[in-house]
Formats: sequence, C-alpha cells, structure tokens
Amino acid sequence: MAELQKDPITRGDFLGFGLLGTIAGIIIAPTSAAFILSPIIKTDVLGDSDVSEDWVEVGHISEVPKEAPKDFSIEFPITQSYGDKHIQKESGVSNTDYTVRNAVWLSWRDHEPPSFVEGLKKGDSISQSQIKEVQSRINVLSNSCAHLGCPVRWVITEGEGEFLCPCHGGIYDINGTYVAGPPPRNMYSYTFEVRDDGNVYVKHEFNIKPGIPGISTQEPYVI
Amino acid sequence: MIGRIRSQTTEASKFIVDWMEHRTGIVTMLEHFLYEPVPKRGAWMYTLGSAVLGLISLQFLTGILLLFYYVPTTTEAWNSVYYIMNEAYFGQLIRGIHYWSANFLMATIGLHMAQVFFSGGYKAPRELNWLVGVVLLLLVVGLSFTGYLLRWDQDGFWASVVGIKIGSYSPFMGGYITHFLLGGDAIGPSTLSRFFAIHVWLLPAAIAPFIGIHLYLLRRHGVFGSDFEYTERLSKLHEQQRLEEYSQYELDEDEYEANGRDRE
Repeated sequence: MAELQKDPITRGDFLGFGLLGTIAGIIIAPTSAAFILSPIIKTDVLGDSDVSEDWVEVGHISEVPKEAPKDFSIEFPITQSYGDKHIQKESGVSNTDYTVRNAVWLSWRDHEPPSFVEGLKKGDSISQSQIKEVQSRINVLSNSCAHLGCPVRWVITEGEGEFLCPCHGGIYDINGTYVAGPPPRNMYSYTFEVRDDGNVYVKHEFNIKPGIPGISTQEPYVI
Repeated sequence: MIGRIRSQTTEASKFIVDWMEHRTGIVTMLEHFLYEPVPKRGAWMYTLGSAVLGLISLQFLTGILLLFYYVPTTTEAWNSVYYIMNEAYFGQLIRGIHYWSANFLMATIGLHMAQVFFSGGYKAPRELNWLVGVVLLLLVVGLSFTGYLLRWDQDGFWASVVGIKIGSYSPFMGGYITHFLLGGDAIGPSTLSRFFAIHVWLLPAAIAPFIGIHLYLLRRHGVFGSDFEYTERLSKLHEQQRLEEYSQYELDEDEYEANGRDRE
C-alpha cells in the first residue's frame, strides 16, 4: 500500500498553506485570465465590435444579371490590437488600413428582376418606388456556407444552376434557399439597403430573424 | 606505443564517466532509459513511438530555426515566409522539413496508436499511458491547426476560418471559443498574434512535460508485446535461474578448493 505522507501535515499548516495558495491564486489567476480573455470580455460582455458599423458599398444593381448571381468582394475596416487607428496615429510608425474581406452574392429573387432594371446603366440613380421594388426583389447573400463557412460558388450543371459549397457539397438555389447537403439552414443574407444612387450597401452583420426553431442566430459567425 | 595510447584513453574516458556518474548519476539514468529489453518478434512495430518522438524533435528544431525569420504580423507574415523560402540559405529545406514532418507526424501517430490498440498495449497497468498519449495527440492536433494560419496565405487563412467556425458549434461555449480564437469578432491582426503565441509557446511548452510523462510511464512498465512479452519474460526468468544455478555451482567449487587447500 502506497503511503502518501510519512510525516502528516498539521491542521494549522494545512490551513496556512491553503490560505497562502488562495491569496496567490486570487492575485495571479484573474489578472492573467482577463489579459488573455480580453477579446471575449470586449465582444461578449461589453458588446463592442472590431468591425466598423458603417455601410459598405457592394455594387450597382444594373451589374446583376437576370439568370445568374454576381459576386462582389467587399472590405470592412477593422480595429484590432496593433491595427488600431488610434495607436497607429499616436506612434506614427505605421499607417495601415486593416480590413476583413467578405464576398457577397447579389441575385434577383427567382431570376426575376424588376422590369426597369434592364434599361439601367451603371451609375444611374433610381426613384424611391424603384428602391422599394429592388429591396423586395434582390438577394444579398454571404458567400460563406451556412454549414462551416467555406466559400460557395455558382455552378450550372443542369437547369438553372445552383450555389455549391466545395467542402462538403451543400447546395442552395438562387435565393440561397437550402436544397441539399449538410447545411442546417439557408444561406445567410446581409443586412442591406438600396440607395437612390442605385447601389446596394451592407453592414457587417447577418439579417437573421431570431426565434426560429433549429436556426441559430450565432453559428457560424460572420468572420 | 599504440597500445599505451589506447590504454590511456580508456583510462581517461573511464575517469570522465566515473566523475559524471558520481556527480549526476547520468550513467545509471541512461542505462535505465536506453537499455530496455524488447520482444524480438515484430520489433519494427516498436519503432513507431520513437519515430513520432523523432518527428516531434524535428518540429522543435526546425521551428526554432524558422523563428529567426518569421514575423507574425498580417502585413509581413507572408513576406517573411517568402523570404525563408527564396532568400535564406537552406530556407526551403528547413521549412520543407517543418512542413513535411508535420504531415508525417499525424500519419505516424495514427500508426503508433493503431499498433498500441491492436496489440492491446493500453491494458493494465498501462491505461494512464494511453490517456497521456491521447492528450499528446490533442496537443499535436492543436499545433497543426494553429500552425496552418501562420503562413497567412489563402489556403491556411480559409482553412482556419472553417476551423474556427467548427468551434462555433460547441454547445454553450461556441461564441466564446470563436471570439477567443479570433481575438475579437473578426479575423485580423489579433488572430494571427494569438495563433502564433499558441503555436510557438503555449502548446510546445505543454507538450514537453507530457512527452516526459509518456516516456517515464513507458520505461516504468516496459513495452507491451501481448504474447511475445510473455514468452520473453519466461525465457528471461529461465536465464536468470540458470545463471543463479551456475553461480551457486561456482561458489561451491571455490569453497571446496579453499577448504581442500586448508586441509593439506
């Protein structure tokens, strides 16, 4: 039988060491934990975001063809650790614009653009009623697959074509509606607006209606 | 002349070895760690663990070398890798070794685990060594995952995005894990810094003691060779008995001679 202690510790010593250990732990643990976990504290507790909340221009509605979706690459400005604009300005060592790049697919719902779009040229402005119509007809989809976030692409093998994810074969139709494969939901769409200059603008957030069973507002995140 | 030099060097080396042994006990220690009877049959199977150890050592060595040029910032990471690959002497070789031994490491670990599993090497009293091995496996997986992003090319970048999004599915903790790995809520400078810190310090520092425990437990119980071990032990026992018998016999003879001489 293995014996743990040949010379047993006294109750006083035990409590003393315990107390010392607790004090040391209280000093060391929370400080280092807060140091490492500061991004979690900032985003999840304080609700701050690294990404700019400004609207970013995607593209003009006349660029979106009738039969297929069109992809646009957009960049949201971010501030993170040494990339913080304040720090860069104060130190004066660098002046880099850090961004996070997303790809957006624009498409017309069920391949049916509003009738006036055909006559539009890039840069043409549109009226308030036309904005309303575009807003109800356009899909502003994230290219990030709703399964694990691989970039989806538009593939035409037969019929009208589909969004296909290269990683695990998730398939969506032109509206981003789930058709087949492992994704648990439809493609994510961005919070967007259409302005009178005819451009689509998005924010770095997904337009998710909360409270739908089986659909998480959190997974996987916009990155 | 040659004979004298030879005897002198033997004496000198003997002196050094004795000196070290007296002060550090290193010779006995090496004996413990290096001289291990292994079953004769299937001996190649028992080299898989050493192969893993060798590959991890390569990772440590080449990793230290790569750190001399690698820069963990989003603007310079890729350029520094480019410098290593194209400008630094033997850079391609050293990064190549780091890359390929990382790949082979996963494969060799798989083979090593399969060998232990199919030979029943995880059975009592070696269960804890299996558990330590699983911890080592997870640490290596973590190292592979974090190392991939450091190149900061399209391949590693998007693979890491997918990996982080897989983490977001963790029950209850998803959001926290994602934000911890990202160092915020978007992939950027913080993410690279974090992955760098985890890859070059946290996980290597964590893996080293576990390798030590793994080897200690291995030497404590010896390698397990299912039925080979049994026959080996039996033959060792017989050998020991035979030697004891001989020594008994020799002792008797000596005593007999001594006694005989007394009588004369």
